[in-house]
Amino acid sequence: MLKRLIINIAYSINTSAKYARIKTFFYNLLENSNYKYKKYFDLFMITLIFASVIILVREVKSEVSLELLFFNNYIVSFIFFIEYMLRLWVISSVTKIIIEQSEHDAMLGENFQLLKTLKEVSIVKFKYILSMKAIIDLLAIIPFFHELRLLRIFILFRVFKLFRYTKSIQTFTSVIAAKKFEFLTLLIFASIIIFVSSVLIYVMEGNNPDSPIDTLFEAVYWSIVTISTVGYGDITPTTEAGRFVAMFVIVAGIAVFSFTTSLIVTAFTEKLDEIKDIKMIDDVSKLKEFYLICGYSSVAKEVAKKLSKNSKVIILDEQKNMVEEASKDGFIALNYDPGSIDSYKKLRIKIDTQVKTILCLSHSDVKNVYTALTVRSFNKDIFILSVLINETSRNKLKFAGVNELIYEKELVGMIAKEFIGKPVAFEAIHALRSNLNGIDIQEIVINERVLSSFTTVGEIKNRKYRVILLGIYKKTDSGFLFNPQDSILLEKGDLLLVIGNVQFISDFNKYLHKKGNR
Amino acid sequence: MKYKNALIFGYNEYAFEIAKNISSRYENIRIFKLNENTSILNKEDTQYEVSSFDLTDDWDDLYDQVDINESVVFCTLEDMAENIFLTISLRDCFNDLSIIALAKDKESASKLTLAGASRVVPLTQTTANVIVEMLEKPTVTEVLHNILYEQSALQIAQIKVENHHLFEEKYPAEIDWSSEHGIIVISVVHEDNSREFIYSSKTKHHPIKNGDVFIVVGYEKDIIDFEKLIGSRCE
Repeated sequence: MLKRLIINIAYSINTSAKYARIKTFFYNLLENSNYKYKKYFDLFMITLIFASVIILVREVKSEVSLELLFFNNYIVSFIFFIEYMLRLWVISSVTKIIIEQSEHDAMLGENFQLLKTLKEVSIVKFKYILSMKAIIDLLAIIPFFHELRLLRIFILFRVFKLFRYTKSIQTFTSVIAAKKFEFLTLLIFASIIIFVSSVLIYVMEGNNPDSPIDTLFEAVYWSIVTISTVGYGDITPTTEAGRFVAMFVIVAGIAVFSFTTSLIVTAFTEKLDEIKDIKMIDDVSKLKEFYLICGYSSVAKEVAKKLSKNSKVIILDEQKNMVEEASKDGFIALNYDPGSIDSYKKLRIKIDTQVKTILCLSHSDVKNVYTALTVRSFNKDIFILSVLINETSRNKLKFAGVNELIYEKELVGMIAKEFIGKPVAFEAIHALRSNLNGIDIQEIVINERVLSSFTTVGEIKNRKYRVILLGIYKKTDSGFLFNPQDSILLEKGDLLLVIGNVQFISDFNKYLHKKGNR
Repeated sequence: MKYKNALIFGYNEYAFEIAKNISSRYENIRIFKLNENTSILNKEDTQYEVSSFDLTDDWDDLYDQVDINESVVFCTLEDMAENIFLTISLRDCFNDLSIIALAKDKESASKLTLAGASRVVPLTQTTANVIVEMLEKPTVTEVLHNILYEQSALQIAQIKVENHHLFEEKYPAEIDWSSEHGIIVISVVHEDNSREFIYSSKTKHHPIKNGDVFIVVGYEKDIIDFEKLIGSRCE
């Protein structure tokens, strides 16, 4: 009966959309560093930690008001306690464990094993409770339970909580953790030296009435101060044998010190690329919209240069030297294979919402086909543009799902034809396209704001602004109306194609969007 | 100027694409293949006359083969050093020859200009421009492409003014071309070859004169009517 009740409750909780929503919200807030509100939560917690420490420091020599003490001992601790419990809750799903166990038992034709399930739940939760971060969290709450002055020192554990909220500290610990074997070796080496030198100095100096070393504790203290190359000088050996030991410890200290320094430097050097990569991936995942260029060829370089004037551009290339070149050129470039689904997963790129267009600009049709096919395998809608290197690959790229192909040789042929046929007109259009002499051709979107002042073409008075209206691209019938008559109605979504001096076009655009112009 | 001969130097896809696109405009198209190039003959060989050449050739011989004054040359060698050498050799022999050269990048483009090419097509920049325009201004690109490459009823034409008295010393910007003639005048090229956009401030100082060339966009019928009215088409 109890077992049935527990399973039913587990199922009802697990299938509740509201419960899932709330749990996801708290999980994101506490654990998901990509969640947009997490940074505000972290900032709030960091502020509380610093407030606690400031109150503790102030309390040492001054009177602190009862309200502040109450805030520090109860309010802050209570917030930390809530946070601790929430973390314990979101870190694993009890209902999921119960359901999995019950389904497993049902499949085997056995009764639901409640005790086994509870044991599994306890293991999962205790595993978290005994983790270093959870222990620090717990110790930081302790002043909430104790009013004893000595225990207030536990407030300092709150400082360690900063590890949770600042990424640079997490990076530092991960770097150190990567070299834990070396650090362990160093620790053992240093411990042996300290142990041997402490015993030696104690044996040599302990019975000498002139020596400041009277106890084994003083011997250990002297050894640590000396081996760390700090050398306060408050305790110094007086016997010859003691000084001999000191020389040995000093030399060993230099070795320990240099070993530690080189270890940290090596660890950071080895991890530097990885750290940079992680940072870049984080930055990319926060971008709202960008063009994704796959393959950093000479064309890609030019395209990236031009696109980056108005939009964000991300470059993917599997060749490290190309990525380095792109980075030197000032672009965000990542050393990932654009032809691998895994790359997009690792980079956390949301193709649907973040990517405007994917540009396959590699020098090889094989790579471009592979990239296009990879992207198409998980996204049917994204616009893919590719360069075509050999005419024979045209159908393959189309088959791979490329929406637009650019064939350089064909372009040259068309340019040659037009240049030979109408050189002056060609130059005029070329000048327009290249924005030479400040003359440009631009698209102006007709929106509700424009429509509130103008309803027909005749009303917009483009000539007054010294702007040519080449035509209107009508959204409703997707057609281009060249030189439209004055009576043509403007509709939402229509595009005006205007030619003129950039400044004149800008003025005209402002005029169109200014209310009450009619 | 209307040319009779097109001489394409280079035996590659660029050369064939150029030949394909310009074949309707030229009586005679010749492709020149560099001797070192030993690639297998393409099926398109059969359509055009293919001759071989060497970079050390004395180009004076070409005088005997074609009428240089009625020829246009395309330099499409893929090795930029060879293409520059070819351009400079041709310019050295033929001062007035129209030479159109392909450049891989900006650097080779400026070298080709120095070598005497009349017009240089920088491949990387051209491709990049087309891609960027397609992404940033898709409608403009489509419309201009259709006008320029005659893929719609709209056309772009160069019309030379011969009846300037019709305009009574008016300035191009003062006339409402679109409502009066159904065409749009984009720019004006003056006799001294200076080009002005119709609404740039400088054009105001140039009243319409005989010899000016209008770059107009419009439907064929309107362009023909306009041409009859003011002068003649110059292509």
